[in-house]
Amino acid sequence: MDQRVNASMVAVAVVEPDAQLMLRVKEGDAASFALLLEKHRAPVNHFLYRMVQNRAVADELAQEVFLRVYRARASYEPTAKFTTWLFRIAMHLALNSLRDGRSERGQERLDEETPEAGGRQVPDRRPTVEQDLVYRVKLEEVRCAIQGLPEKQRAAVLMHKYQELEYSQIARVLNCSESAVKSLLFRAYETLRARLAHLA
Amino acid sequence: MECPIQRRENADLLLAYCARRLDPETAAVLERHMQVCPACRAFGESQQAVWSALDLWEATPVSEDFDRRLYDRLGREERAGFWRRVRPWFPVGFRPVLPVAVASAIVTVAFLVQSPSSAPSPAQLETVDAEQVERVLDDLDMLRQLNVAPRSADAPTQAM
Repeated sequence: MDQRVNASMVAVAVVEPDAQLMLRVKEGDAASFALLLEKHRAPVNHFLYRMVQNRAVADELAQEVFLRVYRARASYEPTAKFTTWLFRIAMHLALNSLRDGRSERGQERLDEETPEAGGRQVPDRRPTVEQDLVYRVKLEEVRCAIQGLPEKQRAAVLMHKYQELEYSQIARVLNCSESAVKSLLFRAYETLRARLAHLA
Repeated sequence: MECPIQRRENADLLLAYCARRLDPETAAVLERHMQVCPACRAFGESQQAVWSALDLWEATPVSEDFDRRLYDRLGREERAGFWRRVRPWFPVGFRPVLPVAVASAIVTVAFLVQSPSSAPSPAQLETVDAEQVERVLDDLDMLRQLNVAPRSADAPTQAM
């Protein structure tokens, strides 16, 4: 059993550059941590933002994710892909935050100035007022539809759609089987199809 | 091909197709099936609509000072971690405040004792030097007089 675990750790470390970087962080290499931060800073932030839908809370949670990664460096073992481990931490923090209700107190609204609303650039240069308004309304519908999903379904959709994680990775993050992930995604997209199909 | 809609365990094929994650061969087979299966075609179209709608939600930029704040926090943790590692060496209940205060007091007193205000000023040094020179000159005068006096007293003796 131990041999099998060790073999899988070696296999992950051999094939995965991020796991190798994390092993160097474990040995005290600060530059490797900087590389991991550079690569995963944005995806973690984006995932958390879409989960909690509040920029300030997402930013704070993302800081906590990387703090935990650094704190856990001494005990890190490459038993899974680094991204899986990273998103597992992020998801755990996001769910705790949602259950605390921290993000709800400062929920961003349609009329708030957000980077993807006010300063958005569309291919035909600057959007007209009507285009901008239509975009904002659609965006709000998407946000509400995602927010309306149960937490696990929401996390599964965000990891599947935006982070492009494999079913096996999502399963490990959510601590369930691959078939359970497929089922979660199927139900989640079913709900989203009912709510968003008219936006096409 | 078995209809993915009919068999739930194959439904992820349709999701994977809309997410463009199917290998080309399987995608081609599914496309041929969708041409003849209205249910799968409708599913694919509505899923594609959802996929496009989700694309509207673009990523937000990460705050510019994200790394600086993170490294600040890591630095604070490292310093706190150093104390946590060192702490077991000290007795239980030991607080670093008292020894640090005593050490600071010693350093302050030492500084005050050695401070420039207690050392002689350059003017004082010049005064001292002048006095010393005067005293040396007086001493030389006195010695000269003493040297001269015996010689003059000895002279008649030598003459005799």
